[in-house]
Amino acid sequence: MPGSRRRQRGVLLAGIALLLAALVLAVVLASVFMPGREAAGGRPLRWQDRGTTRNLREIVLGKCYSYLAERHPALGRDTDCLKIWESLKYAFVYKNPCNTTAEDYQPLMELASHPIPCNKSLFWSKTNDLAHRYTKSSHGFLTLEDTLLGYMFDGVSWCGDPSAPGINYESCPKRSECESNPGSVFWKTASKRFAEAACGVVQVMLNGSIEAGAFRSSSIFGSIEVFNLNPDKVSEIQIWLMHDIGGPQSESCSGHSIQRLKRILEERNFTITCEDDYRPVQLLQCVRNPDHEDCRLCPSSMETS
Amino acid sequence: MLPICVTQDHIGIWVLRRSAPSFSEVRGRKWKGEGTTQNLESIFIGRCYDYIRIVNPAVGEKNCSELWEAFRNAFINKDPCNILPKDYDLFIKLAFHTIPANKSLFWENNQLLVKSFTSGARRYMSLSDALFGFVADFLIWCGQANSTGLDYESCPTMEECENNAVDSFWRMASITYAQHSSGVIHVLLNGSAEGGAYPVKGFFADYEIPNLQKDKISKIVIWVVDDIQGPDRDSCGKNTVKILEDRLKALGYDVTCTDNYKPVLFLLCVDYPDDSNCILSSSALPAQRRPISSDRGGSWNKLMFVSLVGFLFRSASEY
Repeated sequence: MPGSRRRQRGVLLAGIALLLAALVLAVVLASVFMPGREAAGGRPLRWQDRGTTRNLREIVLGKCYSYLAERHPALGRDTDCLKIWESLKYAFVYKNPCNTTAEDYQPLMELASHPIPCNKSLFWSKTNDLAHRYTKSSHGFLTLEDTLLGYMFDGVSWCGDPSAPGINYESCPKRSECESNPGSVFWKTASKRFAEAACGVVQVMLNGSIEAGAFRSSSIFGSIEVFNLNPDKVSEIQIWLMHDIGGPQSESCSGHSIQRLKRILEERNFTITCEDDYRPVQLLQCVRNPDHEDCRLCPSSMETS
Repeated sequence: MLPICVTQDHIGIWVLRRSAPSFSEVRGRKWKGEGTTQNLESIFIGRCYDYIRIVNPAVGEKNCSELWEAFRNAFINKDPCNILPKDYDLFIKLAFHTIPANKSLFWENNQLLVKSFTSGARRYMSLSDALFGFVADFLIWCGQANSTGLDYESCPTMEECENNAVDSFWRMASITYAQHSSGVIHVLLNGSAEGGAYPVKGFFADYEIPNLQKDKISKIVIWVVDDIQGPDRDSCGKNTVKILEDRLKALGYDVTCTDNYKPVLFLLCVDYPDDSNCILSSSALPAQRRPISSDRGGSWNKLMFVSLVGFLFRSASEY
């Protein structure tokens, strides 16, 4: 009978419509809530860390020219800041940020490298603030962040995306989301080269107030830099084991992790020395803790009030 | 391995980068000072974005290209000896942000020390830590009449003309910085400076003190710090420092003064850890640098050598 057949068709159509609506809803919800998945219409992938720094190009170029003007005027003749920027873009723009390789950064590393004077390399692990305050106050030493390459990219972030414009300003992957992200690979590659370039007496500032130990194999220093120092170029490694003023003495030069570091370095034919609370750096710590009993000065001719 | 000493600037920021030109450079050069810094525009704009995105995002959004245009228009296509502080009015207006109370740090004759002292710490904000000082710090610039280009060859020095682009900039910046300082004001002076810790003619004396807003300031704290191993030419209550203290008190300010303020003293000591003024009582014994490479024969060889020498000595003395 015609009436019942029409009703059956209506029910069927309604069912299909409902199914389609549910499907569309599922897709929309999935794209909104699932991380790293592409949303509708060529929008960038979504990650958990901060996105590319806005005006990255201006910042990188400015720092490049500034570095050349302030620190190494002789470098300026050969170093092309625009080429450096282009080589950075090549490394990450339009690329999936979880597939970054050291090779992506080869051209950039070549263009931005410059000779490091011997006896001036300062490595650091868990002493970020102190190590850099030291190199800024005392002009002898250089951390990676005091070389052109480190200086340009310290504090900024970047990552690409397959969709236009090829740069993701909204978010970038955290290490926990993928290890081969542009930032992590950059710093690992740059650290390797910084270690390879070191010559003469080399210094490393470690933190003796951390419970987990001053030397950790999981750190960049412990996993990369230690293994890329060249025994034919480096004559000695000096460890400065710093403790927080008024902080715990979790480890000293005779501690376990330092002994482990010593064994690793000895196996590679290095001479190592260690000093607890290297005095010039301790004096720097006292700038922020002038009244602590560990910062009491011996009486002297200088009047202080 | 002792680090290289930090050299102190005794002449003032505007002369810091000027070096004596060689003979071949002098010929054909208009002025005696170094020319405009290469890539000035890129450095300026880059620093502007670095500041608002990374160094101090709290100041909010700024149009860095607009800032550059305003800065440039102050001195481009003009007689480079006729640039006035007010020519930078628009730049200052665009670059301006408040200076947090109690963070102002004025200084004389210790520019590099101040830079180290405020670096990293949010504790103080010197003029070079504010956006309008940050973009221009250590740079040189000047234009020329009847040309829209920057002069990269040479720029006038203070001696050649007072109203040059760089000095007028720092006057304007100093005035602004002083006008917007509030709470407890700090002044760091060099007790070893020739001519006195407080230059009676200088940026602080001529452009900053006159522009401090008395009703916004609770106290002025003066620190007079001598160079390590430098002469003690001036201190609180003496010579030029006394002149400064009297002047500020006469203006109605609550003034205190400290000699060799310890945090700054410690900073200077970083380069002179063995100086008698820098010995920590907790480490009065020399630090033991222990070689920790064992079994490489080193310490054994040393022991054998010393024993041999000792034996030879004894044999020789018995002879």
